[in-house]
Amino acid sequence: MTHPEETTFHLPDLGEGLVEATVLEWLVRPGDRVERNGPLVEVETTKSAAEIPSPHAGVVARLHAEEGETVAVGAPLVTFEVAAQDAAGIVGTVPTEEAPRRRVRLRPPEDE
Amino acid sequence: MTTDTLQAAVPLRYTAPDPGAEGVPVLLVHGFGSDFELNWVRTGWTRALADLPVAGCDLRGHGGSGKPHDAASYTPGALVGDLVALLDALGTEQCDVVGYSLGARLAWELALAHPARVRRAVLAGFGPRDAFAGADLDDLESDDSAFGQVYRAASRLPGADPAALAACARGQAAHPFRSAPAPESVPMLLMAGERDDLATGMEDLARETGAAALRAPGRDHRTAVAAQGLKKAAAEFLTAQAAVPRG
Repeated sequence: MTHPEETTFHLPDLGEGLVEATVLEWLVRPGDRVERNGPLVEVETTKSAAEIPSPHAGVVARLHAEEGETVAVGAPLVTFEVAAQDAAGIVGTVPTEEAPRRRVRLRPPEDE
Repeated sequence: MTTDTLQAAVPLRYTAPDPGAEGVPVLLVHGFGSDFELNWVRTGWTRALADLPVAGCDLRGHGGSGKPHDAASYTPGALVGDLVALLDALGTEQCDVVGYSLGARLAWELALAHPARVRRAVLAGFGPRDAFAGADLDDLESDDSAFGQVYRAASRLPGADPAALAACARGQAAHPFRSAPAPESVPMLLMAGERDDLATGMEDLARETGAAALRAPGRDHRTAVAAQGLKKAAAEFLTAQAAVPRG
């Protein structure tokens, strides 16, 4: 099956105990094709400003908030049309780009 | 990008470019009360600059770096010293530097003190006006100046060390910014939100130094950091083929 299916992305947990965010600026419009991890929307919280990337590739079907509107964590943010197989198993979280974390010394200890 | 800690008198948590990444590294210097992750990763800057080798650190007093409590540890010279130590550790002879707010002031100081280490500089969310004007730096908890509000917002973020942040403010304020002398032979791009009170006079500084200046419509100091237009302009400035002429 390759016909498009709709999937809705909800405002992810932004951490720091924040329960809502305000849309600063949409970086996509309905009809736009977006890539996974492509810039989607800029939001403002009481603590900071952030850019939320697209959790998957697809075509933007609908935006669920106007610029300047406040959205609760977990509320619908944007609906995509995605290829059917891509829709399977999608969960409403932001893809993380966690860098590998190592803790090594750049310089050897002086007693070596 | 990989994250690591530079062991020094004040340990510095830093992010290094991927090994083998080609081109002039971009050193990202965050603002007061922020850190590399908040200022550059969550705002989409590292995504916007993904084609370039990106490096940066948590400034001392911030994020995962050491947090001394004495103001003398936070002079512009001390903070710039950390940046130079990081460039040395990364084996980076010359970088492009992008700073936001306090980070922009440090980018200026880095270019001024070490012009050979800086190819181009982007100064964002920054102006020549004293950022600490009217602030009572000995009582920031009840100070109602513009900076007092910035301090309190920063000191309430998870992991923040209010005493270190207050010491950082005092260390910076003891050495007010001066627009002369300006860094020689380092092309600069200045940018800020249209309503950024901390970037007052940015256009004057641009005229004095021959830098280009750009404003993000509708944005203030806190929200301009995520503005797509600024990220794109910075990326274009840093990837332009020929050196950008001054004046």
